[in-house]
Amino acid sequence: MHEGGNPLEHPTWLRFLVTTEGHKGLLPSWVPEMVPVTWLVILLLCVTVFVASRKLRVRAPGRFQLALEFIVTALEGFVRNIVGDREAKFLTPIIGATFIFILCCSLIGLIPGFISPTANTGTTVALALMAFLLVQYVAISRQGPVNYIRHFLGEPIWMAPLMLPIHLVGELARPLSLSIRLFGNIFGEETVIAVMVLIATSILGKLFWVPIQFPMMLFAIFGSLVQSLVFSMLVSIYIAVAVAGHAEEHH
Amino acid sequence: MAYLVALVLAIGFGVPIAVLSGALGQGKAASSALEGIARQPEAAGKIQTAMIIGLALIESLVIYALLISLILLFVGIPSASKLIETVVK
Repeated sequence: MHEGGNPLEHPTWLRFLVTTEGHKGLLPSWVPEMVPVTWLVILLLCVTVFVASRKLRVRAPGRFQLALEFIVTALEGFVRNIVGDREAKFLTPIIGATFIFILCCSLIGLIPGFISPTANTGTTVALALMAFLLVQYVAISRQGPVNYIRHFLGEPIWMAPLMLPIHLVGELARPLSLSIRLFGNIFGEETVIAVMVLIATSILGKLFWVPIQFPMMLFAIFGSLVQSLVFSMLVSIYIAVAVAGHAEEHH
Repeated sequence: MAYLVALVLAIGFGVPIAVLSGALGQGKAASSALEGIARQPEAAGKIQTAMIIGLALIESLVIYALLISLILLFVGIPSASKLIETVVK
């Protein structure tokens, strides 16, 4: 526990991969430590789903298959509720995958020896950029480029010089708020847990092993769930609004 | 030195004000959600989902204030840190 940098940071099990000032790893030095953790999350998710999708049965499905079917059906219902029936088949994979990915990325920070990739602006800004590009792609492909630009110009066409900057700023503020919301929440949860551990080790003295950060970890589980839900739901709502044009879709 | 005092005062007053307004807003949202559930218990699932999302959106505004204070604390304003350097030297 050397005081080289931020006292709230700690090495992870995957520290051997990255190159820090201490030692040289397999990856170049500009790769931060959270990137191998992201790979680990992706690997775990892919292995889980791959194992569950062997021997799919219709008549007597196993428990693992049932559990995953439940998750997939719940995600599809969730997306279909917001986006409507036409886009649901196309959007369920990407929004469901975003939900599960953000959830697992945020939860893995609670396991001792790992950090949350979403507690870093890199991951959250990448996710928000992906969501932004997805919304633009769906809007342009469903409505056509002319209609899409016309929606920026506002209702009466002579209001365009006023409406265009407002719409542009509103459109650009969406990925910004998505990324900052996710980053702030997950980083805040992790920081509070780290500070509680710091308090335990420095003030409690002999009782440093008492896990006073445990209630905060429970809250962090709930918070990660809520944040991933909010991210996915906001992306779906943005797509629903963009597809429907000016008529707001309520669910 | 004065920069640090001003920084502490700004953060010490800024973040609690954001938290206070956030708490007021979230209280209002939660109370109307509870009222809606009390009126129609069968709509509890939908109301709860909408409430959670509303709370998360309000909370994100509070997180913006926290983010600004974190940036000021750890990254700082460039001209001010250069000022500190010259003063300390």
